[in-house]
Amino acid sequence: MTAFLELSGVTKRFGGLVAVSDVGLTVEQGQIYSLIGPNGAGKTTLFNLISAVFRPTSGSILFEGKDLTRLPTHALARLGIARTFQNLAVFKHETVVNNLLVGMHTHLRSDPISAAIFWGRTRREEMQARDRVEEIIDFLEIEDIRDHPVGTLSYGQQKRVELGRALAVSPKLLLLDEMVSGMNQEEREDIARFILDLKDELGMTVFMVEHDMGIVMDISDHVCVVNYGRKIAEGAPAEVAANPAVIDAYLGAKRSAA
Amino acid sequence: MRTGHFKERTGQLVALSDSKVVWSFVALLFALALVAPFVLGNYQVTLLVSALIAIVGAVGLNMLTGTTGLISLGQAGFLAVGAYTNAILMMDFGWPVWLSLPAAGVVAALISILVGVPSLRLKGLYLAITTLAFAFIINHVILYAEWLTHGPNGIFVSGAKLFGFDIQKGKPLYYTALAVAAIVVFAALNIQRSRIGRAWMAIRDHDIAARVMGVDLVRYKLYAFMVSSFIVGIAGALISLQIRFVNIDVFALILSIEALAIIILGGLGSIAGAILGAIFLSLLPEAIRLFFDTFSDTNSSFYTTYVYEIRGITYGVVIIAFLRLKPEGLIGLWRDIRKYWSNWPLAY
Repeated sequence: MTAFLELSGVTKRFGGLVAVSDVGLTVEQGQIYSLIGPNGAGKTTLFNLISAVFRPTSGSILFEGKDLTRLPTHALARLGIARTFQNLAVFKHETVVNNLLVGMHTHLRSDPISAAIFWGRTRREEMQARDRVEEIIDFLEIEDIRDHPVGTLSYGQQKRVELGRALAVSPKLLLLDEMVSGMNQEEREDIARFILDLKDELGMTVFMVEHDMGIVMDISDHVCVVNYGRKIAEGAPAEVAANPAVIDAYLGAKRSAA
Repeated sequence: MRTGHFKERTGQLVALSDSKVVWSFVALLFALALVAPFVLGNYQVTLLVSALIAIVGAVGLNMLTGTTGLISLGQAGFLAVGAYTNAILMMDFGWPVWLSLPAAGVVAALISILVGVPSLRLKGLYLAITTLAFAFIINHVILYAEWLTHGPNGIFVSGAKLFGFDIQKGKPLYYTALAVAAIVVFAALNIQRSRIGRAWMAIRDHDIAARVMGVDLVRYKLYAFMVSSFIVGIAGALISLQIRFVNIDVFALILSIEALAIIILGGLGSIAGAILGAIFLSLLPEAIRLFFDTFSDTNSSFYTTYVYEIRGITYGVVIIAFLRLKPEGLIGLWRDIRKYWSNWPLAY
C-alpha cells in the first residue's frame, strides 16, 4: 500500500545554507500530524516544499503515490492539498465570501466566455459553490463578517478566513502553518476544536507546523521534531516530550553532556 | 435607519443585484440614455459618444490593471490595433461592420498574447515599461508596414452600415456605441462575479496564495490580457468609426495616460468606477472650455491656443488630487455618501 504522504531524503539548499537536510517522514491518512522545532529549524521551508511553492534540491515527496516535486504549484489543489500561510496571505481587498470562493476555484469549470454570459451551467455552479461556502462559514462561525473586506478584520478573524479558504478546496490533506500564533486563548481553543472536528467528522488529514505546545500535545496523533533542518525525533506526543534530544534542542544541551 | 434585507435563495446571492431599487435606477438611467439624442443637440451627442467609447476602453483596461493588478501603459497600442483592424477590414477587404467590429477585438486579443507572454514574469513598474514599449512598437509597425496600414497617410473610414443606417454619425452612431457599451459592461460584471474574476483578484492581492488555491498564473494572466485587449480593441474600432479617419497621431501616448487616469479617478477594480471615471474625464475638457468661455473672450482664445497643454495639466492635477485625497476614487466617494445617507442621522 502506498503511504498517504511520504517524504524521503528531502533536502533544500539556499546557496550555502542547508534549510532542510535529508528529512524523511510518513503521514498516515486521518492523522493529525504536528511538525515542531525551534525557530529557524526549517519547518516552514519543509511546508513550502510539500505545497510545491519551492522545489527540493533532492529527495522525493509522494502524495498517494504521485510525486509532488514534479508538479506546478497550482496542480496541488486539484489533488486535494490545501494550506494556510504562517504570515497572512488573504486576498485583503475582497470580502470573506469571495476569499472562500477562490478556494473553490478548482471545483468550478467556467471559461471566460461562459463567465461573461453567466447563464445555465455557470450560474448553477456558482450557486452550488455559494452553498458550499455558506456551509464553511457556518462551520467556522464567521456568519457576521461574511460580507466584510478581509483587510478590515482582526488578525484572528483573518486567520480563520484563511482556514476557511483552505477548507473550500475540500482537501484530503490540510497543511496548517502556525495557525494559532498571535491568537488569544479563546481563539486557540476554537481552532483546536475545528481541527478535531475536521479529523473526526470529515476524516481529513491535518499536517501542522505549530509553536504552541499546548495544542500540539493535546490534539496531535503524531509529532515530528526538526532542528537545524534535520529530523531529531518523532513519535506520540508524550514520547517526544520526554525525548532528551528534543529537550536539548529547546532548552540547550547541558554543559556536562558536551 | 435602514435594516438589512434577507436573501432567501442562493440565486439571490449570486445575482448582480437583487435589490429592486438598484434595478429601477439602472432602468431609469438606460431610459434616459435612450431618449438623450432626441433632447440634446448634435454636439452634445458627439460628446456622449466619446464618453461611451471611453467607458468601453476603461472597462477593458480596468480588467487588466484594476482587477488583475497588471499595470498597462499599452492602452494606446491596443486601441490602435483595434482601430486599424476595423479600418483595414472595412475599407480594404470590404467586410461589413458587424463582422469587422468583433474582428478588431479578436485581433487585439491575439496580439495581446505577444505582449502578454514576455510580461508574465513582470510586475509593477517593469510591466508598465514593457507595455509602454509595446505601444511604441505598434506605432512603428503601423508607420512602416505601408502595404497593410497605408503608413503615414492613414485610412479614411466610411460606409459602415448596420440595418441600413449609417452608423458613423448622429443617432445611429450613438445607439451603436450605447449598445456596445451596455454589452461590455454587462459581460464585465459577469466575469467579475465568476471564478475568472475571482482568480484575477486573487492574483492581484496575493499571487502565491492564488497558486496554492489552484489558480494557474500563466493562464489567468493571459486571460486577463486577452479579455482586456479584446474590449479595448473594440473601443479602438468604435473610435475609427466615430472620427472616420485613422492615422498614427490619433493614438498618441497621452491616450494610455488618460486611460489610467480614468480608472484611477473612478476607483481601481470597480466597473461602476470605470464608468464614472470615463464620463467624468470625457466631459471635463468641456467643463473647462465652458469655464473659459464664460469668463471672457480673451481667455477663450487663450484656451484654443493651449487646449492640449490645459488638458494635459488637468489630467495630471486630477490624478494627483485623487491619489492624495481619495485613493478609492469616485466610487469610494459614492460609497461614503451612500453610507452617510443610509445611517443618517447617526454618525456611523
